[in-house]
Amino acid sequence: MRKKEKIIILGFGNPDRGDDGVAWHVLAGIAKRFGQPLAYEGIESGLVNLSKDIHLWFNLQLIPEVAEELAAYQQAIFIDAHTAEIKEEIKISPIEPEFQNSPFTHHLTAASCLSLSKTLYGKYPKSILVSIRGYDFSFSHDLSQKTKGLAEKAIEMIMKRLN
Amino acid sequence: MATQKITIEPVTRIEGHAKITINLNEAGRVDHAYLHINEFRGFEKFCEGRMVFEMPYITPRICGICPVSHHLASAKAGDAVLGVTPPRPASLLRELLHMGQIVQSHGMHFFELGGPDLLLGFDADPAIRNVVGLIQANPELTLKAVTLRKWGQEIIHIVSGRRIHPTFAVPGGVNKALCKEDRDLILSGLDTNIQTIKTGIDIFRSWAVTNKADIDKFAVFPTGYMGLVTPDNGLELYNGNIRMVDSSGKQLECFPAKDYLTYISEHVENWSYLKFPYYKKMGYPAGVYRVGPLGRLNTAEKIDTPLADEEYKRYRSMYGGKPIENTLHYHYARLIETLFAAERVHMLLDDPDILSTDILNTHQNPQPEGVGVIEAPRGTLIHHYWANENGQITKLNLIVSTGHNNWAMCNAVDSVAKTYITGPEITEGQLNRVEAAVRAHDPCLSCSTHAIGQMPMVVDVMDAKGNLIKEIRRNA
Repeated sequence: MRKKEKIIILGFGNPDRGDDGVAWHVLAGIAKRFGQPLAYEGIESGLVNLSKDIHLWFNLQLIPEVAEELAAYQQAIFIDAHTAEIKEEIKISPIEPEFQNSPFTHHLTAASCLSLSKTLYGKYPKSILVSIRGYDFSFSHDLSQKTKGLAEKAIEMIMKRLN
Repeated sequence: MATQKITIEPVTRIEGHAKITINLNEAGRVDHAYLHINEFRGFEKFCEGRMVFEMPYITPRICGICPVSHHLASAKAGDAVLGVTPPRPASLLRELLHMGQIVQSHGMHFFELGGPDLLLGFDADPAIRNVVGLIQANPELTLKAVTLRKWGQEIIHIVSGRRIHPTFAVPGGVNKALCKEDRDLILSGLDTNIQTIKTGIDIFRSWAVTNKADIDKFAVFPTGYMGLVTPDNGLELYNGNIRMVDSSGKQLECFPAKDYLTYISEHVENWSYLKFPYYKKMGYPAGVYRVGPLGRLNTAEKIDTPLADEEYKRYRSMYGGKPIENTLHYHYARLIETLFAAERVHMLLDDPDILSTDILNTHQNPQPEGVGVIEAPRGTLIHHYWANENGQITKLNLIVSTGHNNWAMCNAVDSVAKTYITGPEITEGQLNRVEAAVRAHDPCLSCSTHAIGQMPMVVDVMDAKGNLIKEIRRNA
């Protein structure tokens, strides 16, 4: 019997800034499907085990230490918000390790994290980035109506992949 | 007369919304370069009406990078408004949390963000001028650097119980004591990480010797300096009075943090959303000053931990004991502060009170206003709250670290552009130097969102008539 691949789903963004936090809402939706609802007040970074092989990870942004986590998985699904710069409402792209000089001092991209994982630990998971269009980045815990609908679709798409 | 305008937007690798405009004259030389900070948070407005005790949980949302600094400054302002002094063990634990933040933030900046420019070269291929290039050049060091940042983050997690958005400090103290096992866990990482910091310092010192000519022409200019100090003018990051010195190192003022409005005012320019703080008595721009690692080490006269003090003496002797004006020495100063923070962790954990459960004082004596000041990794952070008799915020004033450095960052950009850009054909290395002038300050602007596509870097080249003649875009 083929060994099941370990999967990590990484969401990042600021849940206090409306659609920027869409990844949190998607992770919460996925966790709910697994019968493990995540409480908003309990938002915390780090790993949540949905099953033996499927884990969630959330933070406001990607950090260098996540490279170590990534090295322990065969598959990774990164979830983030995107702006109108990306034309698709939901964009799913494969990601390869590539360090990208970010516009932000303390900001890493998913490809950069894979690059760190590959260079530091000699391995990295097969990865995709699911990015979801954000429409409203003002101070709010709630998603805009449009992004809320997209988040539901993204949850369905990710659940299909997990199944 | 400016004939071309080059706009870099935003500066690579800084949080928030900023762009650089470089105006060239007819000869193709830099006429003037501007850093525009398009920052607007609105926090000061929407916090009005909230309860004082809520503020330590609301204000960390200002920043995803240094939430701990806002959390602690806010708790200190809350102490003042509610008229309550935290028990000594609570102050020790707050400072321990703060040292974790300093270690993780400074460690990440030097080894993973600012360091590659220095260690691999400003003109190195951008494809390798990053932490991966650093790993390839020195894999062992980079692994240690990742461990260092992780240790700082673990201190935050262990002490506060949370990695992000801590709810640990409350007006009057903290809500979680430290147990012996957790103290020992933090201590177990101490020696290794002090060694990593010392290695970083050795690397920087060696780089500084080789690159002294560059360091001495890269954004070197006089300003005043400001930072918290101990009662005998030692480096202080959590408590103490605010000390201001002039460009020669002479003390201008040393005052209780609550009196900051007597000494600091803010100037407004029509080309930046961010205000320009200055020392009131000298006026603007004569009274501008710098904060953060460079500012703090120029303000202090010593460091009260042995290893950091030894390095501080070496640092200050480089220019005959005078204040260090070189922007690139922000990096050296940052490493010395990292060493200080690690040593402070040790001292705090060795304090007999650190495991005490006397962590909250509930005897309040409410005041109409209160100020909380802390040295965030990037510089002095001021929270000032006014409250009504119900403890509701009626007004607040926040001066963030990056705000104090606004003039210095603008001047550094102008200075570096004039020094290194010699004609209309700007090389990648020249642009990188201009950006590095901002990065050295490790600015933190309105940094709450990071959506994909939000901030591609744009360089616009405009002719004298305002026509776009060239656009360079670097996507995040």
